[in-house]
Amino acid sequence: MDLLDFFLRSREAERALEQARTRLYRVAYAWCHNAALAEDLVQETLTKALRKSSQLRDPKARDAWLFTILANCFRDHFRKQRDMDDIDEIEISHETTPESESSRAEIVSMVRATIARLPEGQRQVVTLVDLEGFSYVEVAQILEVPIGTIMSRLCRARNAMKVILQPAMQQGPATSRAIRRIK
Amino acid sequence: MNNKEIKFSDEFLNAFVDNQIAAEEKSSAYSEISQDESLNRQVCELRKLHDLVQLAYRDPPAPPARAGASLNSHQARLRFGVAASVLLTLGIVLGSQIRMPSTSPSATAAPDTAAQHVAKNISLIKPFQAKAAAPADGKVRVASLQSMAVIPATEAPEPVPEPAIVQNEVPHNATTKVLVHLARDDADQLSQALDDIEGLLKHYSKARQSARVEVVVNGKGLELVRTDTSLFAARIQRLQREYDNLTFAACQNTIDRLAREQGIVVRLLPGVITIDSGMAEIMRRQNQGWAYLQV
Repeated sequence: MDLLDFFLRSREAERALEQARTRLYRVAYAWCHNAALAEDLVQETLTKALRKSSQLRDPKARDAWLFTILANCFRDHFRKQRDMDDIDEIEISHETTPESESSRAEIVSMVRATIARLPEGQRQVVTLVDLEGFSYVEVAQILEVPIGTIMSRLCRARNAMKVILQPAMQQGPATSRAIRRIK
Repeated sequence: MNNKEIKFSDEFLNAFVDNQIAAEEKSSAYSEISQDESLNRQVCELRKLHDLVQLAYRDPPAPPARAGASLNSHQARLRFGVAASVLLTLGIVLGSQIRMPSTSPSATAAPDTAAQHVAKNISLIKPFQAKAAAPADGKVRVASLQSMAVIPATEAPEPVPEPAIVQNEVPHNATTKVLVHLARDDADQLSQALDDIEGLLKHYSKARQSARVEVVVNGKGLELVRTDTSLFAARIQRLQREYDNLTFAACQNTIDRLAREQGIVVRLLPGVITIDSGMAEIMRRQNQGWAYLQV
């Protein structure tokens, strides 16, 4: 029953795509910091993935394949993306947050603002490695750049983040600091 | 020491933290790093950065149109389309072979209701078509936007077995998408445009209707979102805070042109994104079924 087999497989693929939605959205949001746009990019990615699902030969490579489509959608959308260097204003807008905001939320917004400040290429590499745990080889495939470039982008991104986030890193999540102090 | 610095370059330490080094090399590096305080600190910092990035995006803000609904609606549309095709084929086959005398009266009645139905649905894009004949001031009134906006929320489309109508049908829970194009710098007009946009968003929010509004600025309209020229910076920021389904998008071509021709380095208000070209974005959005309004 080839037809039945086809339907079963496509249904399974659909389910896998739906499960990947949250992860795609998280990375898309980390790339553009705009909930509506991130949702749009994920929607476009899933639509393309559904249409091209026959191209995926190895289901194990599904994650990298999906994020490759997401990266392409993102690239198409911001073909001439400038660096988000208007971070000063973003920080100002964050200052207006209510005083009741917890320190965790402050750290979250500071880290997001720092990542938003990174050049697009660095931002993509950091988020793919740190959020999704992709290997450097996989990130190189997803973004279609040499692995050496991935390593240098990651290095530059983290160095820049280190400088800006020094206070947050000292404050840090309390538990992790305690553990490191004991050691 | 020099040798050590080369061996433990920043790239190597990053790869070490990210577990990208072969097992045997990692174990020898591990013992060396643990004996060197400075290297140890660097590794700790990198791990902490990794933790901070994870923490920052553990709970990203929810998308305006709730996840799942979109893909499901896509699937629903697909199924609807398949069902419509089957119905169409059946209709053609039956129609060509069997002539039912009772079909003629209903056939004469159908075009009227069908036409009304189509008219209701395509009124979503009516403001764009009506634009050519719009008054010279180019302003769009909230009232007209609201009447447009109400359609998908209140009119649950009835199933109509005509395939042409099925294609135009707006699902009950569909997200209404409106692109507002601003290309002028007249303060009154921009203020009016922001009033209209806010009115539109308020209406959708009140009606609990899923909607997206994208404001595309290019040409002189870019002044609205420039930090040095915008007269409405605070208002734009407030709108962005209040409505997460609102996006301001600036045309990169205009930004480049300002830099090239007038040497202006454009700085945009926070939260304003850039798009490669305003015109291209408008075309793209229209192809995706967005309603277009020029103000």
